[in-house]
Amino acid sequence: MKIGFAKTLRNHYVYLLMIAPALIGFSIFFILPTLMNFGYSLTNWSVYKPNYSFIGLKNFVELVHDVQTTAAVKNAFIYAIVMTLLQNILAIPLAVALSLKLKSANLLKTVFFAPAILSVLIVGYLWSFIMTSADHGLLNQLVQFFGFGPINWLGNPKLALFSVLFTQLWQWTGWAMVIYLANIQSIDETLYEAAKIDGANAVQRFFKVTLPLLYPSVSFNVLMSMIGGLKVFDIIFSMTSGGPGYSTETITTMLIRRGFTEGRTAYAAAFGVVFFLLVLIVSKAITWSFNKWEEKIS
Amino acid sequence: MKKAMAILLTAILLISVVSGCGKSESKQTANSDNKPAANSAEKDGKKVKVRLMAYNQESIRKSYLEFLKQELPNIEVEFQFVALDQFNSVLNTQLASKEGPDLIETGGETTLLASAGYLLDLTDQDFISNYTDTGFQAYTLKDKIYATPLQSWFEGIYYNKGIFKENGLTPPQTFDEWMQIHQTLKDKGIKPQSMGASSWEPMMKQSMGMILNEFYSKQENKGFDDKFNAGEVLLADNWSEALTEWHKIIELGYIDSKMLGMDYDQALDEFATGKSAMWQSGPWALETIKQKNPNLELGMFPFPGTEKGTGWMIGGPGSALAINKDSKNVEAALEVLRVTATPEAQKALIADNVGSSFVKGVEVDLGEEFADSSAAFEAGNVYGPWLYWLGGNPIVESYGKALQEVLSGSKTTDEALKDADKTAKTIRDSM
Amino acid sequence: MKKSSLIILEIVLIILAAIMLIPIYYLLVTTFKTPAEAALSPMGLPKVFMLDNYIKAFTAMNYPRALLNNLIVNVCSVSLLVAFSSMAAYVIARRPEKIYKRIYGIFMIGLMVPFQISLIPLYKVVSGLGVMNSLTGVILVSVFCINMSFSIFLFKGFINTIPFELEEAAAIDGCRKLRIYWVIVFPLLKPIIATVCILNALAVWNDFMTPLLFLQSPSKAVILLEVYKNVGPFSTDWTAFFPMMVLGVIPMVIFYLFMQRFIINGVVAGSVKG
Repeated sequence: MKIGFAKTLRNHYVYLLMIAPALIGFSIFFILPTLMNFGYSLTNWSVYKPNYSFIGLKNFVELVHDVQTTAAVKNAFIYAIVMTLLQNILAIPLAVALSLKLKSANLLKTVFFAPAILSVLIVGYLWSFIMTSADHGLLNQLVQFFGFGPINWLGNPKLALFSVLFTQLWQWTGWAMVIYLANIQSIDETLYEAAKIDGANAVQRFFKVTLPLLYPSVSFNVLMSMIGGLKVFDIIFSMTSGGPGYSTETITTMLIRRGFTEGRTAYAAAFGVVFFLLVLIVSKAITWSFNKWEEKIS
Repeated sequence: MKKAMAILLTAILLISVVSGCGKSESKQTANSDNKPAANSAEKDGKKVKVRLMAYNQESIRKSYLEFLKQELPNIEVEFQFVALDQFNSVLNTQLASKEGPDLIETGGETTLLASAGYLLDLTDQDFISNYTDTGFQAYTLKDKIYATPLQSWFEGIYYNKGIFKENGLTPPQTFDEWMQIHQTLKDKGIKPQSMGASSWEPMMKQSMGMILNEFYSKQENKGFDDKFNAGEVLLADNWSEALTEWHKIIELGYIDSKMLGMDYDQALDEFATGKSAMWQSGPWALETIKQKNPNLELGMFPFPGTEKGTGWMIGGPGSALAINKDSKNVEAALEVLRVTATPEAQKALIADNVGSSFVKGVEVDLGEEFADSSAAFEAGNVYGPWLYWLGGNPIVESYGKALQEVLSGSKTTDEALKDADKTAKTIRDSM
Repeated sequence: MKKSSLIILEIVLIILAAIMLIPIYYLLVTTFKTPAEAALSPMGLPKVFMLDNYIKAFTAMNYPRALLNNLIVNVCSVSLLVAFSSMAAYVIARRPEKIYKRIYGIFMIGLMVPFQISLIPLYKVVSGLGVMNSLTGVILVSVFCINMSFSIFLFKGFINTIPFELEEAAAIDGCRKLRIYWVIVFPLLKPIIATVCILNALAVWNDFMTPLLFLQSPSKAVILLEVYKNVGPFSTDWTAFFPMMVLGVIPMVIFYLFMQRFIINGVVAGSVKG
């Protein structure tokens, strides 16, 4: 037994050596803080109470009853779902259009993708200038040029979250589009020919051939925009700071408000644990349903 | 052999990558000593570095920092600016992990930080006697002083003298008069008031202007803030009437939900370029306004109450400087506070940001712009309740955010007060 | 599709692209305007091309130093990521033992859990290691805490597609494991290395939170911190801020203009299921 173990170890130590830097670093900078966070979530630690004690699940109870926190979770889900839907509904037709033999296809691809390389922080600052309700607001000047009344893009609590979302659509639709485009271009031409022979028109071909074969990129893009949407932070930070009121407060901004601004470390830790579970459930659900889809197709 | 070679190769690669960073890094940090090194440098008579973390920008401390440089050749003050919206986040994170700055610009949270044991007790320092006692009111916890005040600050309503004159208007004596002014201007097609309400601050302060007039000015309410800190009284039970009174300005539409889409800079811009007649702010905005429009004649009046009176300004000791107890450069930090307590330093501070000083014997001429407010100053009608609250900043933030909801019609003023009470309770509970 | 409808589609797409460029155009033209001019005709070309605003922004941002800091952080983070995550992914992809599957599972937690949830413990760790307020600290956090999982995910997916045979042949030759990796496997990873480099370069460059929290000294500020610092509530005229935004994004724009094909290919490669 002992000899066998030693032998395995000898065979393995090079592998362990190769994996060690990544694993050690990851453990120190990610796993350890995450575990510590789980621990803190059961205490009453706050910045103003350095000597904390164990209080069990009290933070979690408080969390569920905190109207502002639950509103923030709701906002994050609205944001993530709407973002995921719109981003993909816009990106797929764009990708299909660009896959047709257009003269300017490459240039168009470059332009549609371009906003994705900009810093979200700066994009946020830029759009808050564009969307301001002050007289120099570009968007309202355009709206008024077409004969409509000015719109309070970021000041109307019912609209603000969607205004922020709009900027992110502007920024990230191109990203999803290039992924779809590559997927479409990898689809075998003969499948279309066969469908044509069967008498399918362009729309039918899209739904019968293209869409089912897009499932790898659909599942990837949906998963990424859902998780990215739930984590949204920089754009809120630079455009609305969660306001007006709490109308654009999301999970991450609320976590930072409670944990840092108010100094309620343990409460924020508990919120983090809940967030972790939510993301886990959402991504498992998405992966599961796409696997089902994949099975159905193949 | 070959195995050894391969391991070596990996090691070399890793080391070269790591040290590559290390090298360029050391170039970068060559002149920024880490703390222990700085300590030994102190003994050698070399420069000691102290980090000052602040939420006011470097530009409004320019003369002061220049003064420190001359006065303390052996101490280098490293100025780290973090905007107010992130200040508590960054500060709390640093303090919680014992990585705080040496000197902290503090405001409402001083007593909170002190009670958590982060701040150095300054009570017995020699320079404390340079200040008048009122300067320490907001920075004292259990008879111990934890910060020394910088110059005071105040906010009132700036008004465009030209527009007022053309329309035969004078600064209001009462809230109703003020509403009348709004209406007169509105009828003539002039925007009466600008407000950058995308931040929760301006409404929070303007509504408190009314509360100062109607509530704090009354003898029986002296000591309210102490009781509030102890959790014995609630805002909802006491401020409701005054806040309902102020809410008229929203009902009448002089503050409207369009303002929620406008920020400080844009509001300032509207006022400075004469597009609106009034704007609430403080002396720090004066230079910017003048830069934008050198010909603008402006004045400032205090927030009026329902009855005729001098009115009140929102304000207080402003920010203060505290020392991190865990600082490795306490001596140098104390040295900075010591020279800050001199009239020369105070003049340097005031040069970039008008306000009165708490150092004895420093007279400040506020300037003609603030002449309309002199009666309020003389009566001592300058106050900011939350500056004396435990955890004042988070409390007024939730109050201000709730007022934004009031403005957009989804909350009542009473609910806003309850929000603030609730935050105050959570803060007390977390201590 | 009919030729005429293709032309109509192309025109529609070009108009859409032009609309998408409006914010960028607005950003650029506003840098040359005074606030009054910008308010009067936000879309018009500036009357004079004044560079004053840019010079002011350049000085206020300490641009050369901030840029250098950015480059240091980026180059180091990306090289460390490539070196460490490719090795780890190789072992995970090639070894059948259960322990490596488990380790992979641990790494993949990082894909789902936002690191923001444990900022305070992370802060404690960074300060405990004595790398607070240093570019090293930012590099370590970027590499291990934020971007490691995704890189390993990408490498592993790619290595799975490389046939075993070459390595087997080398093993028969008597090449040892590490040598096999560096001499034979690593060169084969070129396409995915390009992807990992590009995606991480973008992510690290545009990350604002890490420098905000872990760098305190102004002398170590990166570009986004300088932009953030100058947006403060006390800024004088708003058009003066626009050149800062331009200076903030220009390095990435140049990167994109020269490398766009690689960047877009990298994004696509990064989406292929591992």
